[in-house]
Amino acid sequence: MGLFQKFANFLGVRKREVNVLVVGLNNSGKTTVVNRFKSEEERVTDIVPTVGFSVEKFQNKNLSFTAFDMSGHGRYRDLWEHYYKDCHGIVFVIDSSDRLRLVVVKEELDLLLQHPDVCNRKLPILFFANKMDSKEALSSVKIAAGLGLDKIIDKPWHISSSNALTGEGLQEGVEWLTQQIRDMILSKT
Amino acid sequence: MSSFKRDKKEEEDGVGNIFQNIEKTTVLQEARVFNETSVNPRKCTLILTKLLYLLNQGEALNVKEATDVFFAMTKLFQSKDVVLRRMVYLGIKELSSTADDVIIVTSSLTKDMTGKEDIYRAAAIRALCSITDATMLQAIERYMKQAIVDRNSAVSSAALVSSLHMTKMAPEVVKRWVNEAQEAINSDNVMVQYHALGLLYHIRKSDRLAVTKLIAKLTRTTLKSPYAVCMLIRIIAKLLEEEDSGNDFPYFDFIESCLRHKSEMVVYEAAHAIVNLKRTTSKELAPAVSVLQLFCGSPKATLRFAAVRTLNQVAISHPAAVTACNLDLENLITDSNRSIATLAITTLLKTGAESSVDRLMKQIASFVSEISDEFKVVVVQAIRALALKFPRKHNTLMNFLSAMLRDEGGLEYKASIADTIITIIEDNPEAKESGLAHLCEFIEDCEHVSLAVRILHLLGREGPKTKQPSRYIRFIYNRVILECPSIRAAAVSAMAQFGASCPDLLENIQVLLARCQMDSDDEVRDRATYYSSILSKNDKNLYNNFILDTLQVSIPGLERSLKEYTQNSTNQPFDIKSVPLQVGPSPDEREKKHKSEGMLTSQGPLRPPPVSREENFAEKLSAIPGIQQLGPIFKSSDVVELTESETEYFVRCIKHCFAHHVVLQFDCLNTLPDQLLEDVRVELEPSEGFELLSVIPCKQLHYNETNHTYAILKFPDDDLPSCVGTFGAVLKFIVKDCDPTTGIPDSEEGYNDEYILEDLEITLGDQIQRVSKVNWGAAWETAAESSVEKEDTYSLSSMNTLDEAVKNIVQFLGLQPAERTDKVPEGKSTHTLLLSGVFRGGIDILVRAKLALADGVTMQLTVRSPDDSIAELITSSVG
Ligand SMILES: Nc1nc2c(ncn2[C@@H]2O[C@H](COP(=O)(O)OP(=O)(O)O)[C@@H](O)[C@H]2O)c(=O)[nH]1
Ligand SMILES: [Mg+2]
Repeated sequence: MGLFQKFANFLGVRKREVNVLVVGLNNSGKTTVVNRFKSEEERVTDIVPTVGFSVEKFQNKNLSFTAFDMSGHGRYRDLWEHYYKDCHGIVFVIDSSDRLRLVVVKEELDLLLQHPDVCNRKLPILFFANKMDSKEALSSVKIAAGLGLDKIIDKPWHISSSNALTGEGLQEGVEWLTQQIRDMILSKT
Repeated sequence: MSSFKRDKKEEEDGVGNIFQNIEKTTVLQEARVFNETSVNPRKCTLILTKLLYLLNQGEALNVKEATDVFFAMTKLFQSKDVVLRRMVYLGIKELSSTADDVIIVTSSLTKDMTGKEDIYRAAAIRALCSITDATMLQAIERYMKQAIVDRNSAVSSAALVSSLHMTKMAPEVVKRWVNEAQEAINSDNVMVQYHALGLLYHIRKSDRLAVTKLIAKLTRTTLKSPYAVCMLIRIIAKLLEEEDSGNDFPYFDFIESCLRHKSEMVVYEAAHAIVNLKRTTSKELAPAVSVLQLFCGSPKATLRFAAVRTLNQVAISHPAAVTACNLDLENLITDSNRSIATLAITTLLKTGAESSVDRLMKQIASFVSEISDEFKVVVVQAIRALALKFPRKHNTLMNFLSAMLRDEGGLEYKASIADTIITIIEDNPEAKESGLAHLCEFIEDCEHVSLAVRILHLLGREGPKTKQPSRYIRFIYNRVILECPSIRAAAVSAMAQFGASCPDLLENIQVLLARCQMDSDDEVRDRATYYSSILSKNDKNLYNNFILDTLQVSIPGLERSLKEYTQNSTNQPFDIKSVPLQVGPSPDEREKKHKSEGMLTSQGPLRPPPVSREENFAEKLSAIPGIQQLGPIFKSSDVVELTESETEYFVRCIKHCFAHHVVLQFDCLNTLPDQLLEDVRVELEPSEGFELLSVIPCKQLHYNETNHTYAILKFPDDDLPSCVGTFGAVLKFIVKDCDPTTGIPDSEEGYNDEYILEDLEITLGDQIQRVSKVNWGAAWETAAESSVEKEDTYSLSSMNTLDEAVKNIVQFLGLQPAERTDKVPEGKSTHTLLLSGVFRGGIDILVRAKLALADGVTMQLTVRSPDDSIAELITSSVG
């Protein structure tokens, strides 16, 4: 990075671009979450199941986020790995009312953590225990325990309960992520 | 050659192609920047351009390379740069067939196709359809329907055309979009209307009634788009051609009325359709021809070209109508566009009188050096047609051809001239001597080795039959002194032919061959030694078998047999009889070759020597258990249809004959969308003596799919008369009803069903392979001593002409006509047809049929064959 660029960053003149990957099982609310992050005029009203992936952009603080919103259907989960290498953070969305599939979530998470493009990096991971409004919803603590999050020691992680329909809990999570990524970038430069 | 030219041109222009030296590995390496967090659109666009350039040059990526670069490319969706995004669409289309998991971009593309950015939408649709397979189509159906009726014409057109492409993959789904296509046909935009008609027709084209309804509706409204009207004319013309409807079919009038359309394109299309329709009467033809005539005088070169090309095409079928345009065509001879001039002259040649030939040939000579090889070939073909029509003009034409031979020109052009000279020589005995003389002169200075070799071969075959064979020896021997090894070898073989056929030249030939045995090349020395030793034996029989009519096996077949032989360790000597034979061209093939002549059709790049049908089948059949042991295929019959073509199940049969067996290959097509067939096989009721060895069923037959089932039978032993017969046949199978859209069966349970097929005949022709004899007379003479002869006389009362009789005999016996005796000279009342072939098992057959015209045709048939019963079988099966 050139000296001028460094200077510019420091002064916050130009927004720094970062990539995040949004993953999780299908129907967990990933697309709805990302939609919430966008400015009001850019939001869509009609959310359809994602086929493959979709690229969305949003801002938080002085970071400009490019989110790769991946499809969570079985057929596409193997394709997440194509996007691990170059991301600065991961958003992992869980449907906290879907108790039945919590084991599947754990399986996918473990695969992700063991992947060569992920395991040796200090990538921040933000978990959303989404659909907290639902009656059957498990608490974020129960979910963290169910997924064995305490075993993740080489990466910063954070879990927030959220309701993507109202936006509740989302801001707190994304602020944590922004901070983590900024720290990471600063320590590198 | 062409690339060489291009390079040279660029050198002259001083601008190189900046993409010239790029390499695949480098570009793939560079493409890694696509993965970077912030995208540099300019840089990425350039890299994508290089990648597309490479792919379009024919560079192939393997699956991993393609998948890697594809996924890297998907990350470029984060850039909003318009140019880059459109390059990404192109990249997606280009890689969609090689990379894995391309459906990953589905959501990104549907977003673009429904988004606000108009420039993205049409291209996104095209890319989307290239990555969508039948299983994913449902997911995008809603968007496609919307896009077809979109107000933006580019979007609507893209959706219509993409739908058309997708009918190949999922016809049933696309059929459901018919209402949207109907709506689009009312569009004000000329392209949308045209594309909508294209799609509608495509969806309905197999349903006659629906097409008729569509035409009825559209001919009543006024289509705004001239493209759509042209398409409508083509649809109607096609229907008229199939219909055999006579004149009561009302839509001919519509085409007629289009001759008065305000768009020239439509007027031309109508005229073109009318002159090409078989049913057009001369009265109906007149207005169409006047339109073409008018176009001949148009200031627009495209119109003149279109008109003269159409006239050229129909010159043979409607000579009178075309002659009416002679004056206009004459004017076009001097057209500055040489393509137009060439077509004008060749059209005039086709229809002109004998008296105008000399003048027209002079005209062509004046500019022949200015036209491209492609058009020169058209001229040569016109000359060939002319020579066959006016045999007396052979001198003028030969001189012209030999002048063309001496000019500059590529191999294809030169070969077409040589071919024409050879055809003329074969057709017209009077032209033989001068034709051979021209060819002799040509090989004195011929840069094309393959052509020189062919001509030497011809000299060897034809030279000995001329009045003064000795004059050719000098030309041939000169080649031995001056040329490269392959030409020298050909010259040696040609000389040997003279030695074998002309006793008075034998001594001289032996002297020349002795000199050739000192040659520096192995092949030349070997041939000289071989021929010299045979010629020294003074044995007619040896001459025939080893010089005049040599090996008749197919060369690729021989190669394959020898390879197999060397791979199997066996003490048995190699059996030359086990090698498939070199088959003479079928009457159909020759017909086809002549039909395309005089048309401007590209022959494409030089193809490798054709593989026979038998060899093609051999590869496929060898995978089937039980067939390998039968030996090589002796002959594969033409396709026989066992059902009408528009039935539920369409079954055709090819009979593969082996030395002692026959394998029946049934090609079955399932035309019912709601049925999956399993265990499909044909149950046969063979005639007496045939033994059914095994049946290989076809496991599954999906809708719209052709698959094969086989039956292996053994011919009756030692009982030739029973080897021809008629079999009953029934198609048997298990039906599983299924969902027409997905093809998935409703349940695992199926039920047995059957379908009666037409009887299948095993004929004599199935068991005889046409093999040509170079020197039929010599073979016939030798056979007098070594073979059995059978003779009988027949009265062919249903034949009215000698020509008709000849055609029928050739077809019935499946033998190869020799010495062009299948052509009956005009005005003769007697004719002798000479035929040769081989019966399965490798037994030679020679047939002479003497025909006389007298209240029907009388035929005296003489058969010579080493096998008594085969000769008998032939004489008895004719009666
Ligand atoms: N009740 C509730 N429903 C939600 C919430 N988030 C998303 N959904 C719904 O869950 C469904 C799936 O959402 P989507 O964003 O398409 O999930 P994705 O497959 O992970 O992208 C949609 O019907 C959303 O409206 C939430 O917090 N609470
Ligand atoms: Mg989604």
